[in-house]
Amino acid sequence: MSDNEQLMELYTQLLVLRHFDEFCYDLKMKDLIMNGFHPYSGQEAVAVGVCSLLREDDAVFSTHRPQGHSIAKGSSTRAVFCEMLGRRGGVSQGIGGPMQWIDKPHNFFCGSIVGSGLPIAAGVALAFKRQARDSVAVCFFGDGASNTGAFHEGMNLAAIWKLPALYICENNQYGEAMPVQEFVPVSRISQRATSYGLNGVSVDGMDVEAVMNATADALEQLRAGQGPVFIEMVTYRFRGHYGGDPEHTYRSREEIAVWRNRDPLTLARTRLLARGYSEETLDDLEASVRAEIEEDMEWALEQPFPTVEQATDHVMIPLGQD
Amino acid sequence: MARMSYRDAIRETTAEELRRDDSVYLIGEDVGRWGNLFGASAGLLEEFGPERICDSPISEAAMTGCAIGSALYGMRPIAEIMYIDFITIAMDQMINHGVKYHQLSNGQVRVPVVFRTQGGVGMRNSSQHSQSLENWFVNVPGLIVAMPSTPADLCGLLRSAVRSDNPVLLIEHKSLYFTRGEVPEGDYTIPFGVADIKRAGEDVTIIATSWMVLQALAAARTLADEGISCEVIDPRTLWPLDKQALIDSVKRTKHCVVVTEAPAEGGWSGEAASVVHEHCFAELRKPVRRVCGMRTGIPYGTELEKAVVPDASWIGDAARELLA
Ligand SMILES: Cc1ncc(C[n+]2csc(CCOP(=O)(O)OP(=O)(O)O)c2C)c(N)n1
Ligand SMILES: [Mg+2]
Repeated sequence: MSDNEQLMELYTQLLVLRHFDEFCYDLKMKDLIMNGFHPYSGQEAVAVGVCSLLREDDAVFSTHRPQGHSIAKGSSTRAVFCEMLGRRGGVSQGIGGPMQWIDKPHNFFCGSIVGSGLPIAAGVALAFKRQARDSVAVCFFGDGASNTGAFHEGMNLAAIWKLPALYICENNQYGEAMPVQEFVPVSRISQRATSYGLNGVSVDGMDVEAVMNATADALEQLRAGQGPVFIEMVTYRFRGHYGGDPEHTYRSREEIAVWRNRDPLTLARTRLLARGYSEETLDDLEASVRAEIEEDMEWALEQPFPTVEQATDHVMIPLGQD
Repeated sequence: MARMSYRDAIRETTAEELRRDDSVYLIGEDVGRWGNLFGASAGLLEEFGPERICDSPISEAAMTGCAIGSALYGMRPIAEIMYIDFITIAMDQMINHGVKYHQLSNGQVRVPVVFRTQGGVGMRNSSQHSQSLENWFVNVPGLIVAMPSTPADLCGLLRSAVRSDNPVLLIEHKSLYFTRGEVPEGDYTIPFGVADIKRAGEDVTIIATSWMVLQALAAARTLADEGISCEVIDPRTLWPLDKQALIDSVKRTKHCVVVTEAPAEGGWSGEAASVVHEHCFAELRKPVRRVCGMRTGIPYGTELEKAVVPDASWIGDAARELLA
């Protein structure tokens, strides 16, 4: 694939994630997404750049803000819409909701306990290593997660045992309303990785190609069995922590505008234009992506809610069959 | 049959499971070089090597999460939490993740982890190393909670736990490690949710767990001399609970004492008592009596730590009162 085709593919994925998120935002405002929706708008380059290089057998662990990672890893937009809406047909058949689901065919997991993914990803990586597979376990988490015990315990374990775990810290500048400069005492979160003997790097998380290049280097090291990699992706969330949060209490319009100037979609689009694609081609692409996603949303809105019986099935494997 | 200690039953069963299935591994603090605080994995590092007998860093969350993550991808870990008191650090990983994944995936993923730990008094370790915390876990849907009281039960339940695709918490007792008993040879397993009558009797049913089973048996011997015949039942798993065994026994004896080392309030002892009240109301001559640990942090010292948890005399007194 040429660089141009590749960027075009990345851009298409960025569009998918952006429009998916914007539709979800509207659904949340209408209370059709009930609770727990955390917009990903602004951070798409991270999910797209990282996941574009993953294989199906690589595992991904994500957070309370998982929709971008899940779709970029291969989950269908229909299934993720359904999960957001709590409908049958969702990735977890509608019982998980907007921040916790499992898409086993795509080896995707997420959960809403901040920081908790790092140890589990280390365990998945341990299994891969013991089984002599060259799959990797990728774990996404935020700047806020880097203050949890599980973050430090998990990274230490992966480091001492040289496990194939890729730790991606999405520093979107806030944990809820807590600005990272006030709540993390080092200027780059990647510095925290160096204390575990890792090469902590910080990357422009608004630039999908930069994200992809850093990921490519990381995967080379990981698949060669050289131990875990930590990458801080410097990014920003354009919308509130959750759909409709009181943003003015912690950040200014000016600040948001500065970051919106570095919108990952605009950056990619500008590059495509410079590489010879026409405005019209890109507009058409965006319109068709949006139309498809809208169709998926309409489909999801038709799906039934799970019954109580369905929702409480599988609490555990029945005794005797376990 | 082989006669061995509870501690050795852990080691033998673990070793056999490690030999039987390559995906089984043990992870925990000082399970390798030290072979566990009590010697329950002594010698296993030499036989199986460091990839299967993993000395974990002092990171209960990491070790637990690691066990869970690896279980998602084909491994069958036994994760050892040195003292149940340290399980607070591991609980997010266990409860919010390990126990939730099967349901969240609509049955697509399985989490075959055994969490092994030990609780209770007996080492004069005071309030952060002597607790009985099993009650917290009985209230978690999806988690099996086993508390073996004999070497044979330990062997059968541990083997079933390793082979189960459900997450299992197996709680040992530090005062049981050097007790001895017969352990059946061969591939001995015990299904979850099957109680065992440790002593048959006519006049009163004593339901007891873990080390309290031994106290109940001691009480039963004393009471026998007084002409009171006790039936001692060990549920062996707190959940699933073998309700029928409790009910059948109490319908016959018409009297019931429930004994736990943990404090009564909000605990499994109340669950057991409720089951009996709900199903044996007509037969019961008196309400169920609970004999439980005092509602206190465990104090330091040989005498004091024993003074705040039930012993044979507390149990004997309760039975005598019921039958008076
Ligand atoms: C253990 C835990 N504590 C608190 C919360 C509540 N909470 C949800 S999201 C969040 C902020 C997390 O910040 P960060 O890790 O930077 O991720 P971001 O939301 O920015 O993506 C908090 C505190 C939680 N879900 N889990
Ligand atoms: Mg953040």
